[in-house]
Amino acid sequence: MQAVQQKAPPMAQTQTMNIIQAVNDALKIQMRKDPRVLVMGEDVGKFGGVFRATQGLYQEFGPNRAIDTPLSEGGIIGTAIGMAIYGLRPVAEIQFADYIFPAFDQLVNEAAKYRYRSGGQYPCPLIVRTPYGGGIRGGHYHSQSPEAYFIHTPGLKVVCPATPYDAKGLLLAAMRQDDPVIFFEPKRMYRAAKGEVPTGDYEVPLEQAKVTREGKHVTLIAWGAMWHTVSEFAETLAKDGISAEVLDLRTLWPVDLTTILKSVEKTGRAVIVHEAPRTCGFGAELSALIHERAMLKLEAPVQRVTGFDTPFPYSLEHDYMPSVSRMRAAVDRTLNY
Amino acid sequence: MTKLNYREALRDGLRDALVREPRAFLMGLDVGRYGGTYAVSRGLLEELGPERVRDTPLSESAFVGAGIGAAIGGLLPIVEIMTVNFSLLALDQIMNNAATLRHMTGGQLAVPLVIRMTTGAGRQLAAQHSHSLEGWYAHIPGLRILAPATVEDARGMLWTALMDPDPVLIFEHAALFGLEAELEGAVTPVDIDHAKIRRAGKHVSLVTYGGTLHKTLAAAETLAKDGIDAEVIDLRSLRPLDTETIIASVKKTRRAVIIDEGWRSGSLSAEISARVMEQAFYDLDAPVERVCTAEVPIPYAKQLEEAALPQPETIVQAARKTVGTHV
Repeated sequence: MQAVQQKAPPMAQTQTMNIIQAVNDALKIQMRKDPRVLVMGEDVGKFGGVFRATQGLYQEFGPNRAIDTPLSEGGIIGTAIGMAIYGLRPVAEIQFADYIFPAFDQLVNEAAKYRYRSGGQYPCPLIVRTPYGGGIRGGHYHSQSPEAYFIHTPGLKVVCPATPYDAKGLLLAAMRQDDPVIFFEPKRMYRAAKGEVPTGDYEVPLEQAKVTREGKHVTLIAWGAMWHTVSEFAETLAKDGISAEVLDLRTLWPVDLTTILKSVEKTGRAVIVHEAPRTCGFGAELSALIHERAMLKLEAPVQRVTGFDTPFPYSLEHDYMPSVSRMRAAVDRTLNY
Repeated sequence: MTKLNYREALRDGLRDALVREPRAFLMGLDVGRYGGTYAVSRGLLEELGPERVRDTPLSESAFVGAGIGAAIGGLLPIVEIMTVNFSLLALDQIMNNAATLRHMTGGQLAVPLVIRMTTGAGRQLAAQHSHSLEGWYAHIPGLRILAPATVEDARGMLWTALMDPDPVLIFEHAALFGLEAELEGAVTPVDIDHAKIRRAGKHVSLVTYGGTLHKTLAAAETLAKDGIDAEVIDLRSLRPLDTETIIASVKKTRRAVIIDEGWRSGSLSAEISARVMEQAFYDLDAPVERVCTAEVPIPYAKQLEEAALPQPETIVQAARKTVGTHV
C-alpha cells in the first residue's frame, strides 16, 4: 500500500507539454536535485539553446552550470568526459546530430572505453543530447539519423524518445545512471508531439520497449519521429482489417529483445521502420536478431523500410523518409509471402 | 613468379600507381622520411621526391580535408591514416564532405580520393589501435569500402580504387602484413565489384573478408575432416556488397555463417544476415549464424585478445551448429 502511495503523487498533476518543454523540465528537476549536474554546449546558456531546450537554465543556475562553449564538438565532449570521470554529471548538447562527427573520436575512443580501460575505476556518466532526423527542410547537414554508429560501439547506451512523457522520464533515468548515453531527440516532433506530462519527478526505465498498440497480424517496430508516422499508419491498416502491433523501442541499445520477440512470435511478421540509410542501419541488426532467435515462428522474412542509401536530400526529403506507401508495400509483402 | 608478402605487395601497388599516374600522390603521417608506420611506403620518398610523397602534421582531419580539396582540384590523392581508430578524428571530413559532395553539387564535383588505413587486432595493440571499424564506414552512402585479404588483392586493389571516380577506403589488416604468396611479375588490377569464392563447397557458406579470411579457410579444412564441405566467400568489397554471389552460394548450401572481426551489434554481419534472410528465406535450413568480436574494447593481454576475436574453433562451432546432424 505504501509503495503505491509513493508512486502515485507524481502522476497526480500533469501539464500539456511538447518534447522541448519535457526535456527542459527534466533538466530543471535534476539540476535542482543534484548540484553535480550541468549543461554545456553551443548557445545552451544565455540563448537557451537553438531549439530552446535549455531555456531558463542559465538564469536559474548561472554560468557555471549552463555553460556556453566555443564551436568545437570535440572540445565540448572532451571537456564533458573530463568532468564526468572526476565526479560531475555533465549533459552536453550537440546542436544537431549531424555535427556529432567531429566529436566521434572522443565518444568512441574515450567515453565508451573509460570504464573498461580503467578496470571499473572511472565510470563516465555523460549524457549527450542531440536532435536528429529529417523533415525540417534542413538538407544533409541538419537531417541525418546516425544512431547505428553508436549502437555499434560497446560501452554506450542509445536512447531515443518519441513522446514528451518518455522524453522527460527517460532523460531523468539517464541522468541517474553511470554510463555514457547518447540521447537522440526527434527534432521534427519537438513541438508537434504534445501530451500530458506529470509536472513532478518520475522515471521511465531505460532498456524497455513499449507496445503502444496491440495487434495480431504484423509487428511494426519504430522509434523517435518515425513512431508517430508508424502509429498513424497502423490506424489506416485497421480500416483494411489488418491488425498491426506497434512497438516504440525508446531505448535503442541495449535493445529490449524480450518485448520484440514476444510480439513477433505472436504475429509471425515484422516490419522495421527507420529514417537512416538502409545498409548497416539499426534495422539490419534488428532483422538479424529476430531471424536468429525466432526463425521458425516467422511467416515471412522481416522487412525493412528505411531511408535510401544516399546522402540525405534537401528537396526530396519526403521521398527519402519512409512513406505510408512504402510501409504498406512492406506489410503486404509479409502478409502475402 | 615473385615471392612477396602483403606489405611488399601494398608497396608495389603504391609505387606502381605513383609512377604510372602523375596526378597521384601519397600523404599522411610518417609516410615519407620514416617510410610509413607499417613500412609500406619505405623508399618511395627517396625515389619519387617530396612532392609525391608528403609527410603531414599529426591532424587526421586536416590531411584528409586537404586530400578532399586536392581531389576536387583534379589530383588523385592517396591518403594514409595510421590506423582505423585514428580515422575517427577525420570522420566528419570523410562522411560529411568526401562522401556527400557529388550528391550535394548535383554531380558537378567528384572526389576521387583513396584513403588507406590499417585495421584489425592480433598484435597486442590494445583498445585504441586494434579495432575493425570498416562496418561503420559501410553504413555511409557515397563511399566504396575495400578489404584486401590476399597478397594479390593487396597489390592490385589500389589501382582499381584510384581509377574510381568516388572516394574509396581501403582497409589493410594488421595481422596480414607478413602473409606471403607467389605472384606473377607485374601489378594487375583487381576486380573490386565482385566477391570471390576462395573455396568451393556444398554444405555451408562461410562469408568473410580481410583478416578473418585465413582463419575461415583454416576452419573449412577442419570441417572437411568431419565431412562438412564449406564454401568460403571473400567479400573484398564491403560497400557495395556483392549480394548476388552471397545469395547464390546460400541457395546452394542452404546455410550460412558470417565471420566479421567487427563488434557484432550493428555490424556488417547484421546487414549480410538481414539480406540473406530477406532474399533466401525459404532456401535456408537454419538461421544464419554470426561470429564476431566480443563487445569489449580489444584487450591488451594476449589470451584475452585471442578470446575476444573470431578464431578457427569458434567458426567451426558455428558452422557445425547450422549443419546440425544433417551431414
